[in-house]
Order: sequence, then C-alpha cells, then structure tokens
Amino acid sequence: MAGFEILDPTVEPRRQPLTYVPRPDSLKGKRIGLVENTKFNSNTLLQKIGDILKTEYGAAETRMWRKHNSSVPAHDEIIDEAKRGVDAVVAGIGD
Amino acid sequence: MPPMTATLTSQRYRVDDFDQAIEFCYERGWTDGLPVVPPTEASVRAVLDAVGLEPDAQIAFITNRQVAVTAEKVAINAVMAGCLPAYMPIVVAAIEGIADPRWGYHGPGTSTAGAAVLMIVNGPIAARLGFNSGDNLFGPGWRANATVGRAVRLVMRNVIGTLPGRLDRGTLGHPGKYSYVIAENEAESPWTPLHVERGCRAEESAVTVMAAMAPHQFYNQLSNTAAGVLTTLCDTMRNPGMAGQPNYCVVLAGEHMRTIAADGWSKADIRKFIFENSTSSMAHLKRTARAPGSVKPEDETTMRPLVMTPDDILVVAAGGRAGSFSCYIPGWASRASSQAVTTVIKDRRV
Repeated sequence: MAGFEILDPTVEPRRQPLTYVPRPDSLKGKRIGLVENTKFNSNTLLQKIGDILKTEYGAAETRMWRKHNSSVPAHDEIIDEAKRGVDAVVAGIGD
Repeated sequence: MPPMTATLTSQRYRVDDFDQAIEFCYERGWTDGLPVVPPTEASVRAVLDAVGLEPDAQIAFITNRQVAVTAEKVAINAVMAGCLPAYMPIVVAAIEGIADPRWGYHGPGTSTAGAAVLMIVNGPIAARLGFNSGDNLFGPGWRANATVGRAVRLVMRNVIGTLPGRLDRGTLGHPGKYSYVIAENEAESPWTPLHVERGCRAEESAVTVMAAMAPHQFYNQLSNTAAGVLTTLCDTMRNPGMAGQPNYCVVLAGEHMRTIAADGWSKADIRKFIFENSTSSMAHLKRTARAPGSVKPEDETTMRPLVMTPDDILVVAAGGRAGSFSCYIPGWASRASSQAVTTVIKDRRV
C-alpha cells in the first residue's frame, strides 16, 4: 500500500543567542534596581531583598519600579532609567 | 482568484493509512487529546484557497514567543481540528485577535488562572456557516462552533508553543479550552449586535476574542422586569474571581432577553445597571481575601465596581429560547492585562 503524506502542524522556534552581561563581582557600593510586577506582596518581597543587599552585601542604594502589569515586559521608561541609574537589577514575582 | 500555487514548506511524514496517521499525530504530541483529521496537501490547500491566502502569508507575530504564525500552519491546524475550508477566515480573524497587543497573548496564554479564548461570532457569516447561537449554546453538536475554537487552540499549541503543563500553566483550566465559540442570535435579538457596538458595520462579519473563564449560569423565573432579571445577575456576579476588573461577557438567553427588551432597555442600559449594581465594598473584598490588607472603617462604604467602565461588559443575546437562564463570563485577570478584541472577518478572495 502506498500510503499518503501528512504535514507537520508545528513550528520550530527560531533560535537566537542570548548574551548575559557579566555579573558584578561584588555588590559593594552598587546601585540596585528592583522591578516589581504588581502582584500581591511582590513589592514587600523585593524591598526585603533590597534591604538584605544593602545590609549584608554593601549595596549603596536601591530603587523600585512597578511594571504596568505582571504579564508584560518592563516598559521602556523602566529600561531607560535602569540603564542610566543602576548597576544591577532584581526582578521578581509575587505569586 | 486562482488556487494557490506556492509550495507548502511544512515537513512531510509518510503514513500507511488513516489509522496510523491519527496515531502518529498523537505520538508527535500534536493533538488536544481528541483524534485529529490527518492534514494532507490537498486538504490544506483547500483551506488556503477558501481564505485566499498564500501559504507563507503571516497572520500574526507573537512577540513574546518570537513566532510568526503563517497561513500554512493555521490551515494545517484547521484541517486537523475538523474545520470546513469555509471556516478558515474566522480562524484567521481569531488568531489576529489574540495576537493583538491589547489582548496580550503572554498573559492569558500562560497564566495559572487558566483562561480560554472565548470567541463571539457576529454578522452574516454566522448564520451562513451554521454557527450555533441558540439551544445548548456552549455545548457540543455544531461543527462550526466546535472546530473553529479547536483550530485556534491547536494553533496555540502547535505553532505558538502553548503546551499544557509547560508554557500553559493553568492550575485548573476549564472545558472552554477545547473550544469556546458562540454566535450572537442577531435574528431574534432586539439589540445592536456586539460587533456593531464595537465599531464594525452590521453587514460585516467579525469575531470578538476575550480571555475568559468558564460561564456562570444564573436562574430567574420570577421576574417580569428588566431590573428584576438583572438584579439576580448582579447578585450572582458580584463576588469576583480575581477582583482585577477584567472584561465581562453577559449572555442573555431567550426568555431573559425578551423580558429585558420588553421594558425598552438597550444594551447600554443593561451595562449601566450591571455596573452600578454589581459593586462590592472594599470591606467585603478584604474580609473574603480578595483584596489585601486589614479592614478600615471607610472600607465599609468604599465601593469597588466589578469592571473599570460599563463598556467593559460585553452583552450578547444568545442561548435557547426556553428556560429562565442566562450567564456571565468573567474575563481573565484585569482589563489592564488583557482586553477583548474585535476583528473583522475578511474575504481576501475578492
């Protein structure tokens, strides 16, 4: 029997290289950005993490941004300000 | 328009017979759990011809997945879902809708809250292609309703990668994830059709997609006034699932539709009444752990609406003529995260 052909309904995801910036050797004196995703307690959790980074790891300061909502990437203003004003960023989820 | 001639570029697999093809699709993880129709070149071309799209035409681009959804892949999945070729323009319009940034694919596609894609078909195409807008509205039995929604879900799974348990992390999900397609009963409705309210012309056909939870039915066989029927609805829908002020869809079936219309109420009147009568106090939302924080005295008199504006409530006339039942459907999460989107169903063959 000859049979027949069927077509593949799937798509191979396009592969793209992702390059991470080097992680800082130390957080001493560094400015830390905190990106809050709007979920309950995510601001509380991130603030706590920020406090630990300052008291235990010597970070100089923290500042927090709030995303528009939890399902979207950080908006341009956050990215622009983070590029200019902080050395490292912590992004978290509050589920 | 002549039939498509461009080559179909999808990988091909040879199978011995129909049974083996069905099992092969299962083995590859291409199905929603039900058997699919094996997609052949002839059946896929018939679907593409019906919509007037070249195979490599891009229907949508899903940004967060970096996936281009092409007509060929949509057609393959539509065949697998059991669609007639004539359904393809509706599938395409629905895919355009869920790829719209306002719908925000990433959230409803992945969220633990488990949203499905509610699709509401309006305009002449609904009756022409046999979409059910009456009895057993959300139930099985109509090929158009069953297969169009299934095709969209198969595209989400096979093309966009929204695999249950992996990218689709719905904690519970709901049966609407198989298919969740209704049409508005425009023939009997006394009201402006949904797509016209949302900016389309009456003679156009359109599909509205809403990231949606399951339908919640309510019962009122005592009231003979619009306010009476809708008071029961408001009392039922007042307790929100996520309290995030999403879109809501209210589906009013035959008896309730006639009762409300007999009082001369328009859809705008219905939306206004629901908006004003489905609020909850912040105190209640806090006591029932729908909102964070401790109850303060002012919370007793601070009322939170179910939605941000009355226009966030989609009112649809549909469902059986008999029975004192209607329903509401909460949207997913919040309107800030996902908005219902109405897309015109285009005829590209002319």
